[in-house]
Amino acid sequence: MSAGIKTLTRRFSFTKGAGALRGRFIGVLVFLAMLIVVFSILNPRFLSFDNGRSILFTAAILAIAATGQSLVVLTGNLDLSVGSIMGLVAYVVFDISGKVPELQPFVLVIAILIGGFLGFLNGFFVSVLQIPSIVATLGTLSIYRGFVSFYGNAREITSGTLPPWMRELAMAIWLGLPAYVWVAFTVVIITGLTLRYHPWGRKLYAYGSNPEAAHFYGFSSTQIVTGAYTGAGIIAATGGLLLGAQVGNINSLLASGIELQVLAAVVIGGVSIWGGSGSVYGAAIGAVVLATINNGLVMVQVQEFYRLLIQGAAIILAVAVDALVQKRALGATTRRRIMEVES
Amino acid sequence: MKLTLRSWRWELILVVLIIFAAIWSSTLSPYFLDPVNLLNSSQFFVIFSLMAFGLFPIVVQGEIDISLASTLAVGSVMIGKLAVSGIPMVVGLPLTLLVCAALGAINGILVAVAGLPSLVVTLGTLGAYRGIAFIIAGDIGVTGIPEEYLTLGSARVGIVPVSVILVVVVAGLLTVLMAFTRFGRYSYSIGSNHRASRMAGVPVAATRIGAYALGGASAGFAGLIWVAQYQSARGDNADGTILFVVTAVVLAGVSIKGGTGHAPAVLLAIVLLGTLQTGMKLANVPGTSQTLVIGSLLIISIGVPRLVEIARDKIAALKPAQETTTIKHVEVETRV
Repeated sequence: MSAGIKTLTRRFSFTKGAGALRGRFIGVLVFLAMLIVVFSILNPRFLSFDNGRSILFTAAILAIAATGQSLVVLTGNLDLSVGSIMGLVAYVVFDISGKVPELQPFVLVIAILIGGFLGFLNGFFVSVLQIPSIVATLGTLSIYRGFVSFYGNAREITSGTLPPWMRELAMAIWLGLPAYVWVAFTVVIITGLTLRYHPWGRKLYAYGSNPEAAHFYGFSSTQIVTGAYTGAGIIAATGGLLLGAQVGNINSLLASGIELQVLAAVVIGGVSIWGGSGSVYGAAIGAVVLATINNGLVMVQVQEFYRLLIQGAAIILAVAVDALVQKRALGATTRRRIMEVES
Repeated sequence: MKLTLRSWRWELILVVLIIFAAIWSSTLSPYFLDPVNLLNSSQFFVIFSLMAFGLFPIVVQGEIDISLASTLAVGSVMIGKLAVSGIPMVVGLPLTLLVCAALGAINGILVAVAGLPSLVVTLGTLGAYRGIAFIIAGDIGVTGIPEEYLTLGSARVGIVPVSVILVVVVAGLLTVLMAFTRFGRYSYSIGSNHRASRMAGVPVAATRIGAYALGGASAGFAGLIWVAQYQSARGDNADGTILFVVTAVVLAGVSIKGGTGHAPAVLLAIVLLGTLQTGMKLANVPGTSQTLVIGSLLIISIGVPRLVEIARDKIAALKPAQETTTIKHVEVETRV
């Protein structure tokens, strides 16, 4: 076979696989645009600037949590304990800073340390003890949540004891957008850039798309998986801190049940549940999609119940698209390989 | 005999743990071992047992269903609606079971035919079915359910609640189903290697859909027990209980990757969790702190055998290394 045809075929099949992957990201955007169009037809007030701002504000914390979750999902694992980490960090950090006011400027550092440790524990269970991630994080979901209740002894942390600057941040508006949106934006961009350009991020993708190949290449699965969980723990801790400051009065149940929302955002955002493909930008948009659905259904006065139904359908639709994309991308690479062997 | 002991080792550990938990609980309160109290508290776990039994074959096949609690809610509000509209139970119960089995089958089709990952599919239907339950029941839910539907909640044989007997019977049926029927053996085969099973002519898709339908039906049946025990039905029934159910199945020694596990162990795991929870209630441990103990139990029960395995592998890795060196040594000698 002539070299020209070979390159042509290669380029063609490459575009097909990559195109399928890119198409998924665009698909999420199209879905979001469709939602916006439908909701604004049903209620013109949906399209107001104030409402858009309110959607972004609700999406901010979910987007942060989804960013953390994506790190883990990229390695082909799951973190069900994200809500418990958020709750634990918010409760413990604000409790400490309430008791020792000198520590108030350092809440973020303490949060990152605690969150990182909790994430590391998850990673240890999954990578060293090789407990399947669903089971391990299901266990730590209970453990972390139980710890808060044990530690807090049914007390509630009141908004008065929170560091004042955190309370102000929760309500602040910078350049026309809530401060939380800017924080979420920063977290997503930094994580996205790290995944794209730092070797640590590339390893995550390499391991996620083929753990065995990554092993033969000399990557340590323990290091990669533990790293992903630790990163997820740190990001979740940041989200927990913001959520705590927003809510004000924190009890031991803060953020419980959020894990399913976070997972939904990640899946809708096109991060493959099989690992190795997808981006944190997608996950963040997934969070915006969920927030838009919630907000829009309230605006058009649909009962709360239908929200659950529509959200569920959106998740299944997203994963069906994911499966299709996976198939096409896989088909493209296989065909390319066959062509190369022939020539 | 040795083989039997080894394959039932997990059940043995569970029994030992149950005995320890029971001794601990009885030191906390002299009333714990009172048969009436024991049976009363066991009633509380009937619903969880039925859900766990429904989940078991699905997990054996290497899949998962986290939508079961939502299916239960659909079942309970359907039972409630049918009951208050005067439909007799002989019609109402089969109808509800059929609908719940269909909900399960939808999961099964999405997983087995469309090839989607079961966790995400059932995450979606977890929301969707909960939505359906709310749509059926409305905001307020259903109350004023006629006596006929409530008998299972209060009826007793002697001092034993009928619902508890029911759980034991269902556990027996499940054991037979999984150990001696084609469906059961196919399930283990699919869980061990679904590709090889398909090659061997096992109807993989049908068996999977069957397991999900069965899971849905048993969640629907748990919905009936829910209505009978609480005398009402709401859309948010059993919300958040699925984690407990999954914990029970995993604690029963069923690998989440499929292919292993015994049905009686699921009952034992529920008994263990029940004993612990009842004990902690007696010790005035608040409900949310109890999860600390249950989560730790889950991690330790899987983590410790893993650690032992890893340690054994390390030792084993050292030994053959020595053997090969001796063999090489011999070879060299003969060559000389």
